[in-house]
Amino acid sequence: MRKLGFHGRMMTPGMLLLAALSFIPLFTVIAMSFSRVRLLGGVSFEWVGLEYWIRFFTDLDLGVQWLRTLAFFVLTVGLEMGLGLIFALCLWKLARGRNTVLSLFLLPMFVAPVIVGLLGRFLTDSTFGLYAWVFKLLGYEEDILGSGTSAFIAVVAMDVWQWTPLIALITLAGLTSMPQSVREAAALDGASGWQNLRHIILPSISSVLLVALLIRSMDAIRYFDIISVTTNGGPADATKVVPIRLYETAFRFFDLGYAAVIGLVMLVVSIIIARTFVRLLDKKGLAR
Amino acid sequence: MTASTTPIDRSPLRARVSVRVLVLVGLLWTLIPLAWMALSSFKSDTDVTSPEPRVFFDPTLDNYAKLFSGANNLGPYILHSVFAAGISSVLAVVLGALAGYGLAGTRFRGKKHVAFWIISTRMAPIAVVVLPLFLLFRGAGLIDSIPGLVLAYLTFNLPFAIWLMSAFFAEIPPSVEESALVAGCTRWQAFRHVVLPLTKAGLVTTFVLCLVFSWNDYAFALVFSGPDSQTLPIAADQLVTQTGIDWGQLTAIGTIVVLPMIVAGLAVRRWLVTGLTLGAVTGE
Repeated sequence: MRKLGFHGRMMTPGMLLLAALSFIPLFTVIAMSFSRVRLLGGVSFEWVGLEYWIRFFTDLDLGVQWLRTLAFFVLTVGLEMGLGLIFALCLWKLARGRNTVLSLFLLPMFVAPVIVGLLGRFLTDSTFGLYAWVFKLLGYEEDILGSGTSAFIAVVAMDVWQWTPLIALITLAGLTSMPQSVREAAALDGASGWQNLRHIILPSISSVLLVALLIRSMDAIRYFDIISVTTNGGPADATKVVPIRLYETAFRFFDLGYAAVIGLVMLVVSIIIARTFVRLLDKKGLAR
Repeated sequence: MTASTTPIDRSPLRARVSVRVLVLVGLLWTLIPLAWMALSSFKSDTDVTSPEPRVFFDPTLDNYAKLFSGANNLGPYILHSVFAAGISSVLAVVLGALAGYGLAGTRFRGKKHVAFWIISTRMAPIAVVVLPLFLLFRGAGLIDSIPGLVLAYLTFNLPFAIWLMSAFFAEIPPSVEESALVAGCTRWQAFRHVVLPLTKAGLVTTFVLCLVFSWNDYAFALVFSGPDSQTLPIAADQLVTQTGIDWGQLTAIGTIVVLPMIVAGLAVRRWLVTGLTLGAVTGE
């Protein structure tokens, strides 16, 4: 302990607990992926070797669910980045009332995702939902969460509703902390607004956008709450993304070994994504 | 700044109007669902389920009254949420402040890897953590208990707090601590009485964000909680699975879950960017 020094001693309790909270579960989940786990009469493991891993590579349903997760990922993150950027630029141009508008715009971020999902169900209910009523006026009569495509769009929209503000907030911070000279260059009205954006503004906030993208990406891959309470993967599996499949495998069918395999692969995918972003940020000299 | 000095005036009025229209659309898209939820929580059953949306109605507190009386009394759920989220956040802030200070103040080989490890535990898919914890908690008898939830929430709150506090500590110039040491403080006194008070904003922000994350948690509570530990998000969800959905009560419970977090979140708005980007972006 002496050798650690003051800083080391300060770090010890937190780091030990974090190590316990991350390594013990990690080793457990690895052990689970090679075992048949029994829950009756206390937890017991029965070694089955690669059985679950082999099943993983021949599971066509799971392949489809990965593709769906990817589609979901691209759609939500893409829309959030686009809309967040547009809104941040608008707020940036807004001279008066910016803080009030920003505060109001941030509200969805603090709403529990399960409430976002339930509220979504309330608004799209086919007999009395406010949004369903608006759609009926526009001539769309279907039950929104009842058919595959519209249900998929609806759960995407709910995530976009909740997290676009985060992207706008981060982007706005990037815009307001741009150096004076860049701001002056961008304020010149000679070039068209689009050229300004493309050649002056975007390059100077690119690392900020990258951080926003990283944060949303890590969350989008584990997106669970909203889908769980709205469609729970349905109708006809149209919204069954990998996290939903994992929960179902683990806590409905208690096929814990196979769930562990799915979970480990999710973990590897998210670490690859994080590594890629951190490397990109490193290049820009932003990572700490 | 006066626009008249620019030689070619490219219709700034039109640009200004379109900015305002976009802002207005954005605000409507953001606020209508929340406003509708709050409004509906004061409606009677017939007003809530009216096929034509009703904006004007006789307000009633029936939905709230029902939530706090009879079989599904919300009281215990609120207490569970307050204790589980509160204790977990306090522990995260305390341990996070110590570790964050240590992390910000030292240089050692492989620090980058340690930092990546910390952040990766925060970003690990929730389901991957829930799965082994379920087995471990079952073995340790922590299922359906507040300590179990506190520990579960620490899996995401602790790495977040360590990382965020180290970002706040890194902002403090080393000279501050050095002069305290020269003045005769011990290291601990310098930390406790000089450095720590300077990160008050960081401590509050970290606490509030940890609180929001754990208060809003659904995935962990779904697996680990039971009759003795169910939290508000689970209570809200259970209102649905019972026969027929009482949307009046549901919007009331939603309002109760959401309101404190909105207030807390807006209170730390200034530091939100630092907090939510884990200090990677320092704006404003």
